[in-house]
Order: sequence, then structure tokens, then C-alpha cells
Amino acid sequence: MFAQKNKILIIFILILITFFNLPAAAENIDQQEDQKNEQEITIAYVPRSLDNPIFLDAYEHAQEKAIDLGINLEWVAPFAYDAEEQIDIIESLIARKVDGMVISVNNTPEYINVINKAVEAGIAVATFDADAPDSKRLFHIGINNYKAGRVTAEGLLDVLKNNNIDYRQQGKYLNTMIMTGVRGALNLDSRIEGFLDRVENTNIRVKDIIENQDSVNLSVELLEQYLQQNPDIDIIFFVGGWPFYVPAEALPNFQKWAEDGGIAVGIDIFYDALLLQKRGLLQYLVGQDMATMGSKGLSTLYNYIMYDALPQEYIETGVEVANEQNLERLLQTHRPWRVK
Amino acid sequence: MFNKFFKKLFNRIEIHTIRTKLIISFLIIGLLPILLSGLLSFNIYRGAINDRISDYSQEMVNRMERDLEDYVSEIETFLSREQDFYINQFIKLTQANDFRNNRKYAFRIWEDFNNLKQMKPGLEDIAITFQDGRRISSYGTFSIDINEFKNRMYSNLSGDIFFTPPYSNYLQKEVITIVSSYYPEIAEENVLISADIDLDVLANLTDFNLGEKSYFLIADQNGDIVYHPDQEKIGKRSLLYSDGFPNRKVNLNGEQYILTSTFSKSTGWYIISMASADEVEAELNYITDITVYLTLVVLLIIILLTVYLSYSLSKPIQKLQELTHRASENDLSVKIDISGNDEIAELGQSFNKMIRRINKLMEQNVREQKLLRKLEMESLDNQIKPHFIYNTLDLIIGLLENKDFDRATHMVEALGKFFRLSLSHGKEMVLIRNEIKHVKNYLFIQQFRHGEEYEYIIDIEDFEIMEKHIPKLILQPIVENAIYHGLLPAEKNGLVIVKGYRKNKNIYFKIADNGVGIPTAKVREINKILTGELKTDDQKKYFGLRNVDQRLKLMYGGSSGLTVESIEGEKTTVIIRIDQRGGK
Repeated sequence: MFAQKNKILIIFILILITFFNLPAAAENIDQQEDQKNEQEITIAYVPRSLDNPIFLDAYEHAQEKAIDLGINLEWVAPFAYDAEEQIDIIESLIARKVDGMVISVNNTPEYINVINKAVEAGIAVATFDADAPDSKRLFHIGINNYKAGRVTAEGLLDVLKNNNIDYRQQGKYLNTMIMTGVRGALNLDSRIEGFLDRVENTNIRVKDIIENQDSVNLSVELLEQYLQQNPDIDIIFFVGGWPFYVPAEALPNFQKWAEDGGIAVGIDIFYDALLLQKRGLLQYLVGQDMATMGSKGLSTLYNYIMYDALPQEYIETGVEVANEQNLERLLQTHRPWRVK
Repeated sequence: MFNKFFKKLFNRIEIHTIRTKLIISFLIIGLLPILLSGLLSFNIYRGAINDRISDYSQEMVNRMERDLEDYVSEIETFLSREQDFYINQFIKLTQANDFRNNRKYAFRIWEDFNNLKQMKPGLEDIAITFQDGRRISSYGTFSIDINEFKNRMYSNLSGDIFFTPPYSNYLQKEVITIVSSYYPEIAEENVLISADIDLDVLANLTDFNLGEKSYFLIADQNGDIVYHPDQEKIGKRSLLYSDGFPNRKVNLNGEQYILTSTFSKSTGWYIISMASADEVEAELNYITDITVYLTLVVLLIIILLTVYLSYSLSKPIQKLQELTHRASENDLSVKIDISGNDEIAELGQSFNKMIRRINKLMEQNVREQKLLRKLEMESLDNQIKPHFIYNTLDLIIGLLENKDFDRATHMVEALGKFFRLSLSHGKEMVLIRNEIKHVKNYLFIQQFRHGEEYEYIIDIEDFEIMEKHIPKLILQPIVENAIYHGLLPAEKNGLVIVKGYRKNKNIYFKIADNGVGIPTAKVREINKILTGELKTDDQKKYFGLRNVDQRLKLMYGGSSGLTVESIEGEKTTVIIRIDQRGGK
């Protein structure tokens, strides 16, 4: 009897406590929301490396957007691409508890683990340029790499056609060298896949795939060496624009090869690449919009952090092409980087 | 003194053999110098090791200090930039938020800083930091808490550069940072240019092996630890700090250390060496072990040598002792065979000589004894002459026929005593009393035989000589000569006097008769024969005198014997001299 009475008393006291605390709890939630709005948030961009100028457009536009939105932007990466070092940097961002990060990575277990670790630590993670779809990242912003590969292949076929090179002729192959960064980088592999799918029914045959470890300097060296040893290669497909940062004079073998009728196409449009195209070393280029990756990637993640605005998983930034028809115009609109 | 000590020692531990004494003596003599020299060497080496460790530690910390100053100097060179165009442009455009034009300068600064990183191992990062905390470094652009960073900084002695204690940098790496100010011409405010130094640089600078427990550490002027092999101690106040880090011996966590330090002016840091005393001792223990092992080996050699030497020395002595013992047990056939020419060999030779001499003397003694027996027998033969016995017996028969039984009884009794004393139970020596009795019996018998023709007197002045022993049958032959050669031819009443006395510890007997005497030439001849000056081939000539004389000389030496004095027609005296000191 006494126990029954006590139980009723305890339940009554608990109800009273809950009743009086509810407004206080609601007030706390509001205060936290206000603090979040007032506090400057930190979002870090982690490109693959600092030495690849292709990311400078994204860097520039991300900084501008950060000023607009009042974001503390960090732009950090190993100077030359190094997966281990890049992962260390991501680990340091986790340790410093940044609010979000936008990173260009590979879809490999090491990257997936560190991304998942960041997400589990409450950090909003997005990818740009190169994706890791098997991780728990929030979204990816970049081009449709498969599509970019197909578009590049279509441009190549147009160039061949314009040069009266029969790409359907049976018995005679057009030997092709593909230069990529590293195998396993999902964006680069998708570009190759799109390219190969489009040329499947032609006599274009892949003879070699060269990996330059995402290094500008190594790409130049490997290209020159390859052409020294294989001057008869017919076509080169540059999956990225690594060797395009140097003037034509720094690529004597490539220059001679092009003069002898070699056809080169590639992905990445920037001022120096367009100059090479004008010199006749490149015949067709497909570009990606890095500026949008910088600005929109930052704003999308900001909106998610600040306002819980859930973005689409894939945000496509679209591609542009550079051919004979629009080359002069593009040279007017693209600015040189002047980093070399 | 030593002799007494060793005697006491040997007696106390009951060591009696020469060999054991030699072994113990050699061991003590051999061991003491070795132990003393070992202890001395050990102490000298111990001092040398400690000095060497201190010198080595000091040299090490001095070298580390030079290396550290060189390294910091190079970093300072990196940081001390005159007006740099790219940096100036970057600062200007960053302050203007001109990101479009600024990106190429950012790129070049990244490239420049990364090239410097490649050039200088241990250089973890180089950065330019604005007063609001924005930073461009070799890893990109980001912001830091500028107040926290400035709070860490402290200047060196010259005040031109600053240092931070160890902390986790942007990449969560443990670094110390060297900071310098940069004043761009085109901007109003200065920026900080800094270099993060990996703590591994300090680890490498101090990577000298002093031992497992020994180590080096670096501390600032306040005693806060900048580098320590135990990373948990980094940043904490050193327990060793005592208004600096003066060189001394310290006890830390129960361990003894030798602390050696030096001070770096350019960094304001102390470089400190902590050499474990235990490990120094361990090296000494190693030396101790070596010393002990060497001592044991030397000791073993000494023992072997001692045993060998003592055996070599004591063997001939033992042999000598054994042969001496055999000789003492009447084995005089022993002969010691010791080679060499040392004292023991000489002793052995003397022993052999002595044994030969003893053998010779023994042989001589046997010869003399044989001669003595022969002379005795001859003397006895001479005593018991057949006609003396027949005449005496005829005399006794005549007395019996005349029924003069009393005198016959006296004669038989006297004759019996005569023979009994002559034989003396075969004894060689008899009491003078008995010899006197024997003479009396003889004179009694002769007086009875020859009637009352002569008288005799026996006069012993010193009665004590009666208890002395002399060879038997010494006096009777001389008395017999006095009767037969002196008194009987004189045809007058004769007198025989036997006188005994002692003079100068010699016993003298004088047998004098008043008979016919002996011509002087003959006396001289007799004395010469008795002294050996004159030889005679006739064994029977003066037989009685010579027999007694020879026996006395054999028994008592050459100073004993007979001397004959005589006045012809008047008297004859025979003097017997017994020199007891020359007796056997």
C-alpha cells in the first residue's frame, strides 16, 4: 500500500520537473542555433595537390564565395600529389574539428576510411573534381566524367574525319596512347571508359596507358620519353591537362610528332592548353568548369551546415569544348595563370 | 719479525711439512703484489673512465650545440628575406581581397616554400602569417589563432628571432617554430615569417649513443624541456633545473647520472647530457671481471709454479729425511743421489760422506773388538797355564795327604775364586774391586806355592775407584811378572806393592817389586815397544806387558797404557795409566 503511494508521488514529481524544464530546453536549442549563425564556420578545400594550376580557378572562386558567405576558408593540400600526405591533411582537419571539407580524392579504401571517419566526427564532407562514391560523403560536384570522355572521343573522330583519316578502315589500326594520372581515380577512369566506349567500333586501338602520378613535371618527362621511343603512335588522349602547362618549346618530341601528323586530344581547358592547341599540338579539348566547383561546392556545403539544406548527391558542372571554330574566342575569355 | 709471524702462522694452522710451508709462502708472496697492483690499476682505471665519460659527454653536448646553432642559423637565413616581390604582392592583394590576381603569387609562394622544405631536412613547414591570423604556408592557405601563437613565442638572447616551445602544428605534428618579422614595403603592417622544425631534428641532433639508460635533453632558460626522448616530458619543467644546468652528479628516480651541459646563445637553450653512472659502472664491472679473471689465471699459474718449485725444493729434502731415517734405523747402506751443486746437494754429499765415515768406523770398531777378544783370550790362555794348575793341585793334594784340611780348603776356595774372577761370566769389564780381589787370590795362591818368600801390599788410596770398571785381567799379569821375573830370581824376601789412586781424572795403578830389576836398555826397549816406537816380530816377547797395554789403548785410547821403570838389582815399577776420558 505504502509502495503504491510512493510510486504515484515519484511520477508526479517527475512530471512537474519535465513541465518546468521544457521551456528551458527549447531556449537552449534556439541559443545553439543562434550561436551557429553568428559563429564563423570553417570549411576546408583539399585539392589533390597545390602544384596543379587546374585547381586555381576553383581556389579563386571559392575564396570569393567565402568572403560573400563569411566562411573561414582553408585551402590545403600536399604541394605535389601524395595520397598518404593528403590523407594526413584530412586527418589533421578532423583533429581540428573543421565544420566541413570539400576534397578531391580517389575511391580507394584509404580515402573512404578517412572520409567516413570525418563524417562520423560530425564533419560535413563533399567531394569535387574526383569522387569517392563508396564513402559516406554528402555529395560530389564536378563534371560527368564518362560524358566528358565520350565528348572527347567524338571530337577526335571529327578531327580524324576533317583530316581525311579513315577511322573505320579494316586491317589498319590507329594506335593510341592514353596518359592518365593514376588508375583508381574514379574521375579519370570514367573519362577513359567514356572515351573507349565511343571509339569501340573504330580501328582506334589503345596501345599503351601511361600513369604520371598526377605530376605535371613527370607527365612532361613521360610524354617526351614515350614519343622518343614510339614516334609512330597515331593518337594521344590526355585524360587530364598535366603536360599542357609548359610552352611548346619545352616539348620538342611532342611538337615534332604533331608536325608529322600526330593527333592529340585531351580534357582540361586553360589558357596554356589553348596556346598549344593554337600551335597545332592539340587538336581538340574538353574543359571542366573548375570555378563552379569552387564556388558552388562551397555554398552548397555551407547551406547544408548552416541550414540543413540537403543537396543532390551529384552536382554536374557541365563541360565546354575547344575546337577550330571557337579557339580564338576562348583565348580571349581564358586568362593565363602565369605560374611558370 | 716475519720469521716469527710465519712460525706462529704455521704453528697455528698446524702446517709442518716444508712443502706446504713453501706453497703457502710462495702463494702469499705471489698473491699480495698481484692483488695490490690489481686494486691500484682498478682505481686508476675507474678515475680514467669517469674522466673520459665526462669529457666525452662535454664534447658531445658542445658538438650538438654547434650543430644546433648551424641548423638554426640556416633557418634564420631562410627567414631573413629582403623585400620579396612575390610575398609583397601576395600581402598587398590578400589585404585587398583580390583573389583573381593573387592566385599566381600564392602558387609561387607554395612552390618556393616547398622547394625550401626539400632543401632542408626537418623543416616541416614555412609560413607567412598576417596579424589577423591568416596564413599561407607550404600546405596552402588557412587561419590560425594569432594570439595563441604569439603567446607561445619568446625571443632569443639577441632578440632578433623568436622561438616557441614544442606544440602540435597545423598538421598535428610536434614542432618548435622559429619566427621572424617581415616588413613589406607596400603594406603598413608587418607579417610573421616562420619555420616549423620537426622535433625529430632535435632527436637526430642528440642521437648519440651513450648507453641504454643515458640520454640527452634540451631545455630552455626557464628549465622547460624543449626536447626529451620521453615525449611526455616535453613542455614540462625539468627537475634538473637549478638556476641553469651546472655540471654535476644527480640522482633522478633512484638512478645516478653524470650531468653535463652547455648553453646555446642563439637559441637560449641548454643541451644536457645525462650519462648513467650505472652504465659507467657497468663498464667498470667489465674491467673488474677482466681483472679478476686475469688475477685468477695468474694465481693458477703461481699455484702451479709454486707446487712445482716446492716439489723441486722439498723432494731432495724429503729424500734426505727418508734416508736419514733409514740410517737411524741402522741401515747404513743408504746413499743419497742428488744432482746439482746447491746447498741441498752439498748436504747430500756430506750425508754420504758421513755414512761412509760411520761405516769405516764401524768396521774399525769391529776389527778392534775382534782384536780385543783375541787379546782377552790370549790373556786368559796365559792365565790358565797348565803347570800353574798342576802345581796348585799337587800342593792341595800334599795338604790333603798331610791332613791339613783347613789350608787345603783355603787353597781350593782361592783357586775357585781365581778361575771365577778370571772368567767373570764372560764380561769384558769388571769392577776394580773384583780385579783387586782377583790379584789377592792370585797372590795368596802364589804365596802358598812359593812359601813365605815374599810379602804383598795392596794399597788403594782413593777408595771410590773401587766402583769403577776396567778391562778384566789388567793387574794380575803385571803382578805375575813381578813375582816370576822380579822376586823369584832375587832369592831374598820380596815385596810386591799394588797401589791404586786417581790423579787428574786418570786412574793409576803402580805394581812395584823389590826384585832383580831390569837393565836400563831393556827398560827403554820395553817402553819403546809399548809406545809403538819399536816393532818386534816375536809375538811372545814381553807378551804380558804388551797384551795389557794394547787392550788399554784399544779401550781408552793412546793416552792410556803401561810404562815400565826399573833400577837394576833394586826394583821395578810398572805404571798403568787409564785415561777414562778416552774411553769408548
